[in-house]
Amino acid sequence: MLHVLLVFSPLAGAAIAGLFGRLIGDRASQLVTCGLMALSALCAIIGLRQLGEEPYTVPLFTWMLVDGFAVDWALRVDTLSTVMMFVVSCISFLIHVYSIGYMAHDDSIPRFFAYLSFFTFAMLMLVTSDNLLQLYFGWEGVGVASYLLIGFWYTRPSACAAAIKAFIVNRVGDFGLALGVAATFFIFDSISYDEIFRAAPRFADTQLAIFGASFDTLTLICVLLFVGAIGKSAQLPLHTWLPDAMEGPTPVSALIHAATMVTAGVFLVARFSPLFEYAPEAQALVTAIGASTAFFAATVGLVQNDIKRVIAYSTCSQLGYMFAAAGVGAYAAGIFHLYTHAFFKALLFLGAGSVIHAMSDEQDMRRMGGIWRKLPLTYAAMWIGTLALVGFPGTSGFFSKDAIIEATFAAHAPFAGYAFGLLVLAAVLTAFYSGRLMFLTFHGDPRADAHTMEHVHESPPVMIVPLVLLALGALLAGWVGRDMLDPEGRFWAGAIVTLPDNRVLEEMHHVPTVVKLAPLFALVLGLGLSWLFYVRSPQLPNQLAGRLRPLYRFLLEKWYFDELYDALFVRPALALGRILWRGFDLGVIDRFGPDGVAVATLAAARRAVRLQTGYVYHYAFAMLIGIVALLSWYLFVVRG
Amino acid sequence: MTIALFVFYVFALVTTASAVMVIAARNPVHSVLFLILAFVSSAGLFVLLGAEFLAMVLVVVYVGAVAVLFLFVVMMLDIDFVQLREGFLQYLPVGALVGLVLLVELALVFGTQAVETAAVDMPPTAPPGVTNTEALGSLLYTRYFYLFQTAGAILLVAIVGAITLTLRHRPDAKRQDISRQVHRRPSDTLEVRKVRPRSGI
Amino acid sequence: MLGSGFDLSPALPEAFLFVAGLALLAVAAWRERQANGFTLPLVALSFLVAALLLLGRDPTPTLAFDGHFVADGFANFVKVLILLAAAGSLLLAPAWLSDEGVERFEFPLLALFSTLGMAMMVSANSLLALYMALELHSLPLYVLAAFKRDEIRATEAGLKYFVLGALASGLLLYGCSLVYGFTGTLRFDVLASTFAGKGGAVLPLGAIVGLVFVVAGLAFKLAAVPFHMWTPDVYEGAPTPVTAFLTAAPKLAAFALLLRLLFQPFATYVDEWQQVVILVAVASMLLGAFAAIGQSNIKRLMAYSSIGHVGYALVGVAAGTGEGVHAVLVYLGIYLVMSIGTFGCILMMRRQGRYVEAIQDLAGLSRSRPLMALALALFMFSLAGIPPLAGFFGKLYVFLAAIRADLVWLAVVGVLTSVIGAFYYLRIVKIMYFDEPAESFDPLPRPGLGLVVAATAVLVAGFPLLPGPLVESAQAAARSLLGS
Repeated sequence: MLHVLLVFSPLAGAAIAGLFGRLIGDRASQLVTCGLMALSALCAIIGLRQLGEEPYTVPLFTWMLVDGFAVDWALRVDTLSTVMMFVVSCISFLIHVYSIGYMAHDDSIPRFFAYLSFFTFAMLMLVTSDNLLQLYFGWEGVGVASYLLIGFWYTRPSACAAAIKAFIVNRVGDFGLALGVAATFFIFDSISYDEIFRAAPRFADTQLAIFGASFDTLTLICVLLFVGAIGKSAQLPLHTWLPDAMEGPTPVSALIHAATMVTAGVFLVARFSPLFEYAPEAQALVTAIGASTAFFAATVGLVQNDIKRVIAYSTCSQLGYMFAAAGVGAYAAGIFHLYTHAFFKALLFLGAGSVIHAMSDEQDMRRMGGIWRKLPLTYAAMWIGTLALVGFPGTSGFFSKDAIIEATFAAHAPFAGYAFGLLVLAAVLTAFYSGRLMFLTFHGDPRADAHTMEHVHESPPVMIVPLVLLALGALLAGWVGRDMLDPEGRFWAGAIVTLPDNRVLEEMHHVPTVVKLAPLFALVLGLGLSWLFYVRSPQLPNQLAGRLRPLYRFLLEKWYFDELYDALFVRPALALGRILWRGFDLGVIDRFGPDGVAVATLAAARRAVRLQTGYVYHYAFAMLIGIVALLSWYLFVVRG
Repeated sequence: MTIALFVFYVFALVTTASAVMVIAARNPVHSVLFLILAFVSSAGLFVLLGAEFLAMVLVVVYVGAVAVLFLFVVMMLDIDFVQLREGFLQYLPVGALVGLVLLVELALVFGTQAVETAAVDMPPTAPPGVTNTEALGSLLYTRYFYLFQTAGAILLVAIVGAITLTLRHRPDAKRQDISRQVHRRPSDTLEVRKVRPRSGI
Repeated sequence: MLGSGFDLSPALPEAFLFVAGLALLAVAAWRERQANGFTLPLVALSFLVAALLLLGRDPTPTLAFDGHFVADGFANFVKVLILLAAAGSLLLAPAWLSDEGVERFEFPLLALFSTLGMAMMVSANSLLALYMALELHSLPLYVLAAFKRDEIRATEAGLKYFVLGALASGLLLYGCSLVYGFTGTLRFDVLASTFAGKGGAVLPLGAIVGLVFVVAGLAFKLAAVPFHMWTPDVYEGAPTPVTAFLTAAPKLAAFALLLRLLFQPFATYVDEWQQVVILVAVASMLLGAFAAIGQSNIKRLMAYSSIGHVGYALVGVAAGTGEGVHAVLVYLGIYLVMSIGTFGCILMMRRQGRYVEAIQDLAGLSRSRPLMALALALFMFSLAGIPPLAGFFGKLYVFLAAIRADLVWLAVVGVLTSVIGAFYYLRIVKIMYFDEPAESFDPLPRPGLGLVVAATAVLVAGFPLLPGPLVESAQAAARSLLGS
């Protein structure tokens, strides 16, 4: 009952605000959605006492029953889903509250809150899913909500373009996921987690022949599922949508594109740990992609000027960390980082939102600066978020990020060394761009025009209170949740499965001191450099950019990924489309296909209508002929 | 026995022949009259079977009421039957063909396989000492109670339907209202006036 | 002699309906003025009460009235659907009746007696009960079709329906007499045990020919080709609420009777009747798909649409398996919701106090009445069988059953005709959403119509989320029919 309330109260909020929003007004919509979200968050906090207990399932009702293929709606409650529910509900609640202030001047408030609550519902369905179909439902639900929210200001062409881009890029990933679900059903003859996980060891090292080639069964399934995760979590090479998604309102970026939805991929991998453990090749792929993304996104983050884009690339990069951890078998470290990251990244985004709000919707850091005295609370909150992000000792990021770096060092999996190197480098870069963001935004001389500077003001309490709570979370979450890394796996109580010879969580405590200190060095180096560049001698960056022109362009253009995709896929597809449309479709198919068939159909239709004369005796006659025809058919054809 | 058989054939022949004539007769009044003949001769068949009650009912209800009603209706509706029959020849070939095929098929059915008389449980005849009417009544109200009730419901619906489709409340029609008549007081309608000579009312 | 034959309890819902009908008739005849208003809600209420009486009844077959009546799980399920459909389509009527000035108490009462007949059809266990129930259900329908007696279209519709219905009854009776003559019993259960006792020996030809005649009589009620000729004229001419009533509940009752006849007494002779049913199914699907295309009147279009849908449901019958029965029941359950909803929308097509029926009148509806357009679009998509709406699942079950019964080609015909049929459904959506707006419709006078439409729309859209209740109880009903 608790969990039913937890999952469905956001849906109720979405329904009320979405259907009757115009009727009950802005204020009531806000109150209803926030109130129901508060209820959900409360349930999630109460639900935490479940931690470490036996997993169980809350059956709701049967979804479909086709010839022995039964799918139920059910909520799976175990440690993993409890942690996820806690993160999703609480952060969503804080962001709902924040949005009251941030969206105060918008003219479609009920719609916004309805979308936000619907998103939360879909995300909760995703994390509590008991079978793959329900997972897919939640997966697509959050996709739709994300699409709607990115394009929330649908009158802006850039927002529509970003929404469409996000949707299409995700489609590629979702196709992989759909194939994965289908393959799972094909192999296991079930889509229920329990049955799949129970049967997984039996299928280890079996082969599956497709199109003449033969694949390792579990590797194939895991890779397909991971393709879905790549799309949703914006990993290489499907990362391009995430930075553009910043066109949505800032609370959306905080909730969906930083704290919750994008972590669904990590959740998927952790949820399927019983399968990934038997598929080392798939794990290697996860490690490689995760580490590469972590490094790549960090480099791009160095030179971006839009404050939200910097944080977006940072999100991309941090997700890479999580995947790298999951890839080397330290799923717990990945989920731990997911949980801490949710707090500090939401904090950073909301802080950025507060700055943007104060600066009259200015997002370019080059036109900010020197405002820290005017926004003391936001400033403090942002620093807490930044310190947590770079892993300052004592903050939440310190616990989780260091654990990942140590785990990659300690692991023996393929690509572990590669991952370790890239992650440490990425840590330096992270510290640098985080410092750059803080210094450019808050310090130095004001670069905005005087009119804007006059209006700079601290945000209203309704926005500041969530910031303060998230700051507390960013400081304390790591210390509170450090049990998650327990090498015996007592915390997870079977929700995450690792093979007996996977001792990563234990071995990572025995790494050399140099490795333990590496993140700290990276932090000091990165922050120091950024201080040098942007506070001490602000002319340095421009000189350096001039000196290393090609590299600077390369990073600024995000490694030319968008251009590459444009040249590789978009243009050829358009060209092919045009050829098929002009030549094949109009010339061949239409003439012989729809048009031809349509003409024949119409002719048949006219004949059928002509039978209907309107005379009763014609009708009676038709009936008699009918019975004679039926009789003759039976006597001469059936009986023969 | 032979007399009974002879009578049976006579009645059967008359029934069939008059049934054909119902359709074939040009004059609709003749059709109805042939219909009455068909009813009467089938009543004769019922008598031969020992079902006097059914025979009487057939004569009383069908001949006495239904057929006579038909006759009135046909006479009152002034329909140009020649015009109605105009299309007859046009459809005759197809109709004849269809009828023929049906006939052949049914002949096939009945010709190849005789009715399994053993399988047929013969209609229960009245036990000795019980009259035809009584036997029928006791069956209708026991074994066939459900169907009897249903028939009642159908008739009720037919009445309701007929009223629905035809009854019109005409405001100008004069009806007898006994209650109003009884409650009528002389004071309502009568006024006694003294009339003086030569001055009018 | 008064044995178990007079135990009324198996027929309690029917008895309740009958008594309620008589009581209402008496009261209404006494207080005619007031009765015109209150009879309809009371009749709908008594349908719901009768449906409640059916819920949770013992699904084991119980005979009553000397074996003419049977109450089992199958009958209970179908009766609940019939009563709900009848109540739903009746609730569409009040606004129309008062607008057209024919708000008379006979309307709901005739509907009540017709529904009683349907319930008795579902429970008929002998050839005689079959015929009597069929007549009780049809006779009020003839009257209802001509209910607007001053309009020539309505009286013509009623007369055509009546004359052709009488012919169909004749065929049916002839068939009954053949079956009785060649087997010597009226009762279905006795027939079944006789046939089973013969162990699949060749059936007397006469009995099967009789069955063909009976099936033809029922096919008339279903409006299956070639006994469909009355449908377009009657659907168009009859008052719209009557058409709504005609599409939903009577179809279900006739199907239930057909299923009981084919799957209980004649179950051992699937091979004999299967071909006949296939022929009717294919013809219905084809005609339903093709003839609807040229229509400009939406009621006429719905008539052809219903012919097509009967064809799809017959595919499930043709499968001749328990799965097929299950599919038919699911299909009909979904179809009746869709058709009630669609007719609800048609009844909203009122312009300056007059009801309009042309498809072109819907032009640009999405702009003037977005919610109504959305609901009608939902119904059209669902009727066309586009996933994930309910109509898709109905077709899915039916075609799956056909494929399992090795009738792949029949399923292929079904899919092809659905594609052709989708054309005219989608055309309506196109007209509503992309054509230049016509004059907008009048606002709704009473909330009842809107509520029914909204409820059906929610059911159609929400079915994929919660198909359990319908699918599972249909399965139980199918099991009860086949006695397994």
